[in-house]
Parts: sequence; C-alpha cells; structure tokens
Amino acid sequence: MKLMHTKLPEFIRKMKVAAATKGSTYKECEVVGLENLKTAKMQSLRTGRIEQAVEDLAKMEDVYRVEVAVIPRIPESMHSAIVRGFDKDGNPVHAVLETINILHPTEDVLIHDCPDIDDRRPPIGNH
Amino acid sequence: MSKLKYKIIPEGMLHDIFVPMSAVFIDYADVKACNLTMREACEKIAATIPGPAGYNMFDMTATTTNSDGVMIDGSMTCMAASDYGKINKDFGYLEMVEVPYSEELIKEEPHLKQWKKSYPDRRLIMGPDPKVKKIPIHNATLTGRAGNNNSATEMMHYITMEELLLPITGQIQIMKDGKVELGGTGYVISVGIGMVVGEEYGRIVPHRQFKCGTSAHNSGEYAKFLKSHIPVIAADKSELVKYIIQALQTGVIPGKDIGASPAVLSVARHMGILPDFDNMTQASLDELADVGFTKEWITADVEKLTPEEIIARAHEIIPGIDNPKKYDVSEVVQVKYIEV
Repeated sequence: MKLMHTKLPEFIRKMKVAAATKGSTYKECEVVGLENLKTAKMQSLRTGRIEQAVEDLAKMEDVYRVEVAVIPRIPESMHSAIVRGFDKDGNPVHAVLETINILHPTEDVLIHDCPDIDDRRPPIGNH
Repeated sequence: MSKLKYKIIPEGMLHDIFVPMSAVFIDYADVKACNLTMREACEKIAATIPGPAGYNMFDMTATTTNSDGVMIDGSMTCMAASDYGKINKDFGYLEMVEVPYSEELIKEEPHLKQWKKSYPDRRLIMGPDPKVKKIPIHNATLTGRAGNNNSATEMMHYITMEELLLPITGQIQIMKDGKVELGGTGYVISVGIGMVVGEEYGRIVPHRQFKCGTSAHNSGEYAKFLKSHIPVIAADKSELVKYIIQALQTGVIPGKDIGASPAVLSVARHMGILPDFDNMTQASLDELADVGFTKEWITADVEKLTPEEIIARAHEIIPGIDNPKKYDVSEVVQVKYIEV
C-alpha cells in the first residue's frame, strides 16, 4: 500500500471532502501550488496524512476554511526545459533539451504569522 | 554579557542603488571573542532583523579565490539567510570548508599556485561541501523571502525577485573599512563572471565542472545580459587591481590557470602577459569579443606599466560597472552591536 499512488484529481477531491465533512460545519478547502500539473500520481501514504491534517484543522472551531499549499520541500528544484520546434502542421521537428534550476521561497513565507505550527514532516533524507 | 559587532546594509535604497534585502557582514574573530558558534552568531543577529537578510561571515586571516580564481586576503567561513527574525533550520545556514594543501590539489587546480606565493601562512577556505548542503545545485541559503546565493556573492528576494551582486573583493573592502564602488553590473562584468576556474569545493560551482578557458555561461551574445541589470557593490578598482597584479606576478596565466575575465585581461596586457588563447574555447572568446575584448584588443601593443602605475590608473584600465560611484565603506554600512 505504501507504494501506491493517488490520481491528482482524486487527491484534490479527498482534501475537499475532508474539510467539508469532518468539521461541525461545511468548510471550504483550496489546494494551491499544483495548478501547473495536468496529470500526476500523488504519494498515497502522504495523501492520507494530509487528509488527516485537513480533518484535524476542519474540526477546530476557530477554523473557517482550510488551504493546502503544495510547495517544493527543497527550495531549489531542477527542471528540464524541452525546447521544441513545430512544422506548419503542428508536428515537432526539432528539440533541444536543457536544464533550469529554480530557487523558491521556503515555507516560512506561509507560516511566519501563524501562532500554532505542528511540523509533521520527516527530516530531509528520511522520507 | 559580551557585545558582538556586525556591519549591516539595510534593505532599501543605498545611495543610487536598491538593496533588496539587508546584508550583514560579521568578522569570525569577533564571534570567537564572544564564545559563540558561527550559527549562534547569525541567529542572534537575525533575531533583531524582522525583514529578509543575508549573513556573510569572514575569517580575515584566511584566503580564498574570487570567481576568476584570483586569491584574496580573507575568506567567508559561513553564510546564512533569515526572514521574520529566524533562520530556516534546514536551508538557512551553511558553512564553508577548509581545503588542505597538497601537490595533487595544485596540479588539479593550478590557479592555487598563488597560495604558497601570496598567502603561505593562511588557511584556504573555499565553498561548502556538496555532500553536506541540502539543496541540489547552488551554494545557497534560503529562508522565507531571503536568498543568499553563490557562496554569499548574490543576495536575492524571492517575492520581489530583486537581486544584489556582492563580488567577494567588494566584501573584503567592507570588512577592512576600505573603499567600494556602487553601480549597475553591466555587460562587461556579466561576461566576466562566466570566465571561471575548476574547483572541487568551488565557491560558485563544485566538482571542477568548468575548465579554465571555457565560459560557464556558454550562451553567446546572451551572456552579457545575464547579470547586467543587477546592482553591484564592488571593490574600488584600485583595490581590485592589486589582487590581479599580485596573482599575475605569481606566474598564473589567464585562460589557462585563472579566468580570462575582462578585468584580468585589462591588467595583463599592461604587464605584457597574454592569455593562453589555445586553451580558450571559441565560445569564451566570442563572449569576450561581444563586449569589446577581441583578440585584437587583447593583443594590442599597449603601454607597459609598473604595478604602481596600473594601480594609479585602475579606474581607466579596469572596465565594468554602469554609472559607478565611489564611496568609503563608512558611507555604505552601519556598524551595530548586540548583547550576547
């Protein structure tokens, strides 16, 4: 089970369901940070734990809405740039592959003003 | 209670340039005198700065190299980035490594021939250990909005995306209360940054990935734009030139041992020293030519000058920096103390 993965739309739906049904009232949940992904498989083990986190917050009476922001754990990510040229019919005819490394803000920008933080992440290298 | 001294350039306008995040400069000797670890010193100062900030700590009794491979009298010992008064526990702090002397090292990194000639009694402290740092590519520390990159020579704000270039020779001037120049990085320095040397513990790039004589940028006419728009705090050219002269006097050859940057080439030709064209790639020669440093310019029969004459005419000889303005360091930094 640990190695199974969840479909991206299912991941988003699960979070919305947890927020909507687990609190004393209906609560909205927005998943942000994955807008650039059209298809992906999400680690199931962590999907369940994030659902649990959404539920935990949805149950709190002072919480009115929930947000799940997914950002890179390592604030530098390496990407491939696939540069493709297309012919007049829209078929790819030439491609150059390059890399681009992107530096991102750390999670501190989202939690610096939050008084209660429960860091449930394993140490880096221990995932 | 002890008092820890540090220098700070606060976030905001600094004369005519914009500093996107506060830049803090700390002397390792002051940290030791306060019986603090390097990390503790950074954290204690960070606790007093609510906005994004970068921290560069120097051992002024050590040596290191600049991006041309020219050796200088001082080295960073650690770097950090903070925001909201804190340093991110995973990514906000990084120490540099001391590299021991060996004949093998000098063979693999021939620019270090300077070490025993120019700074024989100094420890060599280079960049961080790639096996220790937690981000994959850059030698950078990050916390929130603050980034301190390339072994503390670029500070950047990840929300405004504004950046400040801090060549290490300029920072050495800050540590020494010397003289700096403020301005725009411009095309010439943008190209010059690409003329790197290979270093196992490189402050910019590890594992000797780039060979001297090549261009790390390797992007043709685009190289001059890569950093040109960024504000820079550089050493006064009369100070920078002293390091280049000292390096060339040890016998290192531009394009073979040390980077053939426009600054190095500009000094070398007045000393009658030619770069090793045969060891330089066409891409690096093209990038140099694109900002005016053609083979004809490099080999032109210019007046040979003594080191003293080159230093006296440094501002005429050394190219680079858009709209440069010279300042004493006391006009650029604030000196502060915290109780520790």
